[in-house]
Formats: sequence, C-alpha cells, structure tokens
Amino acid sequence: MNGLTDFQIEMRAFELDLEDLRPPALAHPMSADHVTKYVYRLYQRAALDGNLELFQEVEAELDGAIARLGPAPDLCLLKANLDFKLHRVAETRRDLEMSSGLAETSQGRAISADIVFQEGDYKEAGKLYTELVEKERTWDNLARLAHLCARIGDVAAADQLYVEAEDELTAKEMRSFAWVELQRGLLHSAYGRFPQAHEHYDRANRGYSGYWLVEEHIANLLAAEHKLEQAATIYRNVLQRVPKPEIQQALGDIYRHMGKQREAEECFQKALAVYLRSAERGEVHYYHHLVDFYCDAHRDTEQALMWARQDIEVRNNSSTQAAMARALHLAGRHDAARQMIDRALSSGAREPGLFLQAGKIHSAAGGNGMGEHYLKLAAELNPHHSAFHVHHHHH
Amino acid sequence: MADHNDPNAVNSIFSDIDASAADLYDLFGFPSSDTSDGEKVVIALTFAAVPHAGTLDPDMIYRIQMTAEPRVVHPPANEQSLDSFLKYVEAVKDKYTGALHASEIRMHVDESQRATVEFFNFPEGSFSVVVDTNKVLNLDTPGKNRITAYIGGRDDAFFNDLPGFFRSINYAPQFYHVPHTMTEARELPIPKTLLELEGNDLFNYDPALPEWGRGYKKNLPPGPWTWKGDKFRKDENGNFRFVYSGVDAQAGKNVNAIILEIPVKFINPAPDKNRIINVWGESWVLKAANKIETIPDHPLWLEHPFAFLDPRSKDDELQKYKLVDTDGQPFADAALSEREDNRQLGANNFFLAPHFVKRLAHLGWGFGPSISALGLKTSFDHDNSPVSVHKTYSTVLAAFPRVKKTLFQPLNMPDNSWNPKGLNIALRRPFEIFVPNVCAIDMDTTGTWPFGRRLEDQVATRFLSMFLDMEAEFKGKKYHLELLNDQSLWDAAPIVPRTPPNPLKNDKDFSDKFPYLAEPHPEPGYKPTYK
Repeated sequence: MNGLTDFQIEMRAFELDLEDLRPPALAHPMSADHVTKYVYRLYQRAALDGNLELFQEVEAELDGAIARLGPAPDLCLLKANLDFKLHRVAETRRDLEMSSGLAETSQGRAISADIVFQEGDYKEAGKLYTELVEKERTWDNLARLAHLCARIGDVAAADQLYVEAEDELTAKEMRSFAWVELQRGLLHSAYGRFPQAHEHYDRANRGYSGYWLVEEHIANLLAAEHKLEQAATIYRNVLQRVPKPEIQQALGDIYRHMGKQREAEECFQKALAVYLRSAERGEVHYYHHLVDFYCDAHRDTEQALMWARQDIEVRNNSSTQAAMARALHLAGRHDAARQMIDRALSSGAREPGLFLQAGKIHSAAGGNGMGEHYLKLAAELNPHHSAFHVHHHHH
Repeated sequence: MADHNDPNAVNSIFSDIDASAADLYDLFGFPSSDTSDGEKVVIALTFAAVPHAGTLDPDMIYRIQMTAEPRVVHPPANEQSLDSFLKYVEAVKDKYTGALHASEIRMHVDESQRATVEFFNFPEGSFSVVVDTNKVLNLDTPGKNRITAYIGGRDDAFFNDLPGFFRSINYAPQFYHVPHTMTEARELPIPKTLLELEGNDLFNYDPALPEWGRGYKKNLPPGPWTWKGDKFRKDENGNFRFVYSGVDAQAGKNVNAIILEIPVKFINPAPDKNRIINVWGESWVLKAANKIETIPDHPLWLEHPFAFLDPRSKDDELQKYKLVDTDGQPFADAALSEREDNRQLGANNFFLAPHFVKRLAHLGWGFGPSISALGLKTSFDHDNSPVSVHKTYSTVLAAFPRVKKTLFQPLNMPDNSWNPKGLNIALRRPFEIFVPNVCAIDMDTTGTWPFGRRLEDQVATRFLSMFLDMEAEFKGKKYHLELLNDQSLWDAAPIVPRTPPNPLKNDKDFSDKFPYLAEPHPEPGYKPTYK
C-alpha cells in the first residue's frame, strides 16, 4: 500500500480509528461500547508505538471512563493489562477484583496466571497455563506456556509450543506472528544459536515489516555476535522513531565497547534521565533497568542495590532476584549474593544467563565448587556465553 | 532478565469482531429452469463483502463441496423413536467419515482479483481455470460441459427481520453493548418466545426507541438478567405484541458471492439414479506462517476438531489454511448451533445431533406456548403451558419426548408446485434437514426449501413453521411451511403488528437470468475498479 510498511499501515489505521471514535466516545450520554473501543485503540497505539509515555494518556482516559461508567468489565480488563504491562502487580490484582466475575473470565484467568509467573512460582504458573491451554487453545495461551517452558529450560517444548501458537494465527494476525517469531529467535539467541535466531528475526520482519521491535532484536543479536557497527546503525535508526531509554542504553554499551566513550556517555545520560524521571513520577517499570544501569553503565553498587530492593518489592521472581544477586556480588557482598542467586535458582529457572551469573557469584563466594559447576553448565548450554550481551527487557 | 514476554504486549485484548471475508452468509441450491443442454443445478454461496462488494480477500479460500446420491427415506416414516433417530445419525456419520468421495470446487483470488477456480474429484477428474471476477463467465470443462460462473459482488439475497429473531431468543448482543469478557451474556436466561413477555423490559419493544436493536444499543444493565413474570404481554385491546416486525433488516446490504450453474452430468455420472445433490460450503483463511511463503514448521498435534477427520485428507494447499466458517442449512448456526466457533463442523455435524435435540426442545418450550397462545397448534409438547418457559436439558433422553413430533413430522408444503413432475417424493422431516448440515437439492423438485433453497424462499419463517403441528388445519387445509407467511393468518390473530414475521420478498428483485442475484448497491465512498 503506497510503499508503507505493515507497521506504518497499522499505526495509520489506529490513528484513523481514533479520529472516528473520539467524538462519540466523548459524547453524553456515554456509550460504553464507544468508550471501550476508543480507550482500547489508544492502548493498542501506545503498545505498538513503544513509547511508554503514551500510556499516561491511556491511563488518564481509562480512569476517566471508569469514573464515569463504573467498573465495566472490559474497562477493568484493559486497566489490568495496562498495570501489568507497567509492572504494577498489586494493582493488576486489584483491577481484576474491581469488576465482579472478571477474574473468572478466560482473559482474567490468563492475567492471573501471568501474575503468578511474575511472582516466580513457576510450578503453579505452569499448572495454570496448562489449564488455560486445555480450555482454550489460543495462540496467546500457547505462547504463555511456551515462555514458561523456556524459563525452566525446556527449550524443545518451548519451541514446539511456539510453533503451535503460530499455527493458530491467520494472515490477519501478522503482527502477532512476528512477535512469536521474535520469541523463537530469542530462545535460540539465549543458547548461542545465532544463525537460527537470525532466521526467525528475518521471518518476523517479512511477516510484519517496519516494526521497531524486530529491528531492535536484530540489533541485539548483531551485538551478541560482536558486529557492533551494524548493531549501532540499527539502534540509531530505531531511536529516531522510538526514543526508548533502554535502547539508548544499549547503544551506549555498544559505543563503550567500540571505545567511543564520549558517545557512550551521552547515551547513558539520556537513558538515565528518562529512567529517573519515570521513577520520580512513581512509576516502577524502569526499576530493573536502573539496576542494570548502575551495575554496568555507571557502576554504583549502592544505587544498584537500592533499585534492586525496590524492584523485588514490586515483583519477587528469579529475574529480580538474579539482578539483586548481581548487585550484591558487585558490591563485594558475596555471601549475600550467593544466597540470593540460590534463591533465584530454587524457583526452577534454568537459563544460560542465570547459570553464568550463578557461576561467577559462587566462584567469588568460594569454597564449594558450585561456581565451576554453574560456569560449566552455562558454557554447555550456550557456547557463546562470553559474547557481548546487551541488556534486553521488554514491556 | 525481566523479559515480559507476555503475548498481551502485542495481543488483541478483545477480539475485534469486525466483518470478515470468512463470514459465510447463505448457501442457495436449486435446479435451474434452463434445461437447454440437460439438467443443471444452481449453487450460490454468499459471504461478507469484505473489503468491498466486488473486491475479494486474497487471503481466503472458499470451498463448495458436493455429493450426489439417490433419494432415500430413512428411517421409515412411521418410526419416531430415539433409537431410530440415533441409528440415522450413525448412518450419516458412517457416510461422512467413510469414503465420502465428495467433489469440490475451490476458489481464491490473487492480488489482482483474478480468481483461480479448481475442480477436484469430479467424474471428469480434476482441473483448474483462472478467470476474471465480477463477470458472467462460461467455463468449458475438459469433458466439454459448460459451467456458468460469477464470482464477485451482488445484492444480499437474504431478506429477514434478524433483530426480530434475536428478540425472540433474548439475544443480548443485538440490543446491548455486551462486554467482550462477558461470554455468558448472549442468550439471556429468559424464555424464548414469539410473543412479548409481560415485564420483559430487557427486550420488549419500546416505542420511544424504535431503533433499539436495529443499530442502536443500550448499555447492559447490571444483572440478574432474568424474567420473573408469568404471562404474555397484552395491550389494552387484548392483543399480544409480536417480537417480529416483518421489516427487512438486510435491505440495502451487499455480499460477495460464488454463483455457479452446473450441468448435473458434470457432477455425477448417474444423474438419473442420483437425484439428490448435497452441497455445503466452507471458508478458510491463510495461516500466518504461510503468508510469508516459507515452509513452516508443522505442529505434531492434529488439528481440531476431532481425530476421526483423517489429516491425510487435508491436501497440501489446505494445510496452509485454517477453517473458519461452514454453511449448509440456513439457521443451523444461529438457531441450532448457537454460533459457537467449535461447532463449525459443516457436513460433519452428526455428533452434534444430541445437542440439536436438546436445543430444539429448548426452543420449543419458548415457541410452542407462543404458538398455542395465538390459537394455533404446535408440534411441541409443552403440557399446555400458558406462557413460554425457559427450560434446558442435560440429556437427550429427557428432551426427546417433548420434541419428538417436531423432529419427525413431515413438513407439509403449501401446494404441489414444489413437485412439478408429481413424483412420489416423501416430504422432508426436520431431523434429516439439519443433520447433516448440507443443502440437499432434490433435482426432481423446484428446489424450494427444504428440497434445496431457492432465492425467493423465506426460510426464516419456514424454520419457525417446524414448530407448527402439521396435522392441524387452518381454513380446512393442513398446516404447511408457508402458513406463517400467510397474511390472512395474522389478520385473524390477536397480535400486533399483524404481519408475517419476516419480509415476504427481497428488497431487490431477483433476475430470471444468471447470476440471478441482483446487482450490488453502490457503496458510499467506494468506487469499484471493475467495470
């Protein structure tokens, strides 16, 4: 369509929809249907755009709609999705309770299972996801279960489930297809299988062109392969469209490895400014990025520990525990680091990156041979584990 | 790493239920009046005009499958037992899961709107042609048969008071904004009925809001959504209020269609013996993985629906697609299968037969007392209930006695015009009309429903007529399928509005020439690119 990418076509369609929906949505008396469609479109646009600040507008409209219309189930579900996306786990739970019966709907149960996953109870999450799939074999339920399998190291099952998820998707759902292909690529990348990861990212791009998320994944992969110049080019290109601080930080990491300290520092300052502004507003979704930032970009272990503590209060799972363990390790508190990383491992999580972390921490804490054990495990799972690795978080 | 790889990052939270090119509308089938070169059958499959009337979606495949068989009466007319019904269902199952040898016409368009039409498993063999859309075409087959075809935009041939039907089944989404999450708020637990129920303010006509349910929806009030009354609503003159209006809600709408006029000898080599042509339609949408033209990974698991559908029977092309909708009998979905996605089984609907019995009984408890209240006789045994009842059944055994007559009674035709040759053709019975879910065209008839489906048939009203007692009489004549279309019946009934439930004819006249369906209405803001 006139040389536009799939991403541009969809964003344009959202904008046109919003133009049509805006007047009736603001009319009095208010139609629940129109308002829901309008706020949902705002949400979809924000989610696709990648600019988390757009969610402030979504939240304002959503809260306004709920205040005027009451806790309508669709609006509460939308709010639950929004809060979950922004790491507000307690609020997500509350949103599901706001509307009677919402938690028992299939969408409500899916988010509830996601909460359990975020809280690190992978066994229970697995049970809930399996029940969801048995009841409703939708692509997103299959993808949920796949993600869990990836987290606990059952890579074959994860990929198989992603394949099944794709099989449920039609040609009218290419963005979702691209997203699943990205997950498959990430799975390969985590285990050092870079050519396979490239294949999946290429398919994602062919399935849904012009999507910054796909480009970002490609840049991450190139960075892991030490193709730093190529990675930097793509990051810069993405940043022009989507000024996300984590991408800014990733570019900074690359510049640093290329010896471009000034450019790296510029990127880090920009990223930090956005993280801190968000935290000052009371938002919690950048806490984890701040931990990484103060562990790597601007080493300050006290700051890292402070943000790690706050992140664990919001979401206590193997990822946040591993981040805390790393901060403790870098702060020289090796025993505490070992205890924390063991806690992360006790969840059942099995990923090369986690084992690498555990190896370093146990080695520093000394004595029990577990350090070598985990380092060996990490190397077996991902022979490229020592490769440059860009921090990779997605909202 | 805090990868929040939750699919909701990009997922549709609510399935945006827009009109889809996969949405099949109607399947018409009747013997052609043009017998100049032997018998022919007309088959028309209509579907949503998406993206526009006359512009088809290249991600879709449409299938029209057909078999030809002799006319058989089974079980014998005097058997009306649950056992004979189940034996019938078993026989259907054996037929449709065995070596069915259905022929198939499959169609899809490319980006330039050229249609590839493939013919599979016909007596001549299999072959394909590539043709223009939105034109009447003559296709000459390898065996020198001539098929007339039209693929493109037409006026919607369905004429129906759909809001009235939804009012009769208390279907909330037609009248209210029902949240997507509330899957339970569809047919509300209020008795089905043809006459308004006193105090059923959730659905009764409101003269201050004439467009309610006809485009305008209210916000769904808090529950419970029940009815506690005990009588039909009457006005100050003692008239009941009809839930139907007789107004055509489909007027002005367009469809896309595949319309074919096919020599019967092309379909089966023994047309003198095989007088019934069974037809059913399907829509399939391309899978995402196949959109990017790679060889995707295949899941190990078999696809839904069920294991006895042999996966080897899905050819390489179809493996790339996903079944979305099926079409055979009108109202098999809306009235009987309740529109659930996992009931889209088309001809293979035999194991839904127990559900049909229970569903028909459920409808009967609603429509039966309504019919009796009007002074008419119903085929449904409702124990002389003075008002419609909301009743559901968990077992076929419990439901069957109530609905036995409705299931098994032969449906009288209004006159003999349906049987121009005056042959000894048994009247059809509801159980064999809806199981299997196919359009069974009897070539020795005019093809009027239920012996096929002609464009001018008011099938929605004929469907309601199944609940009349065909042994009763009106003005000295046995009840029949056209009785509820008879204005004189309503003129004498204590009801307003005094009208047949559905319109008697389409908003646009049909043509007596192929492609028979009228030209499409102009679409505001859209100029078709075809001539």
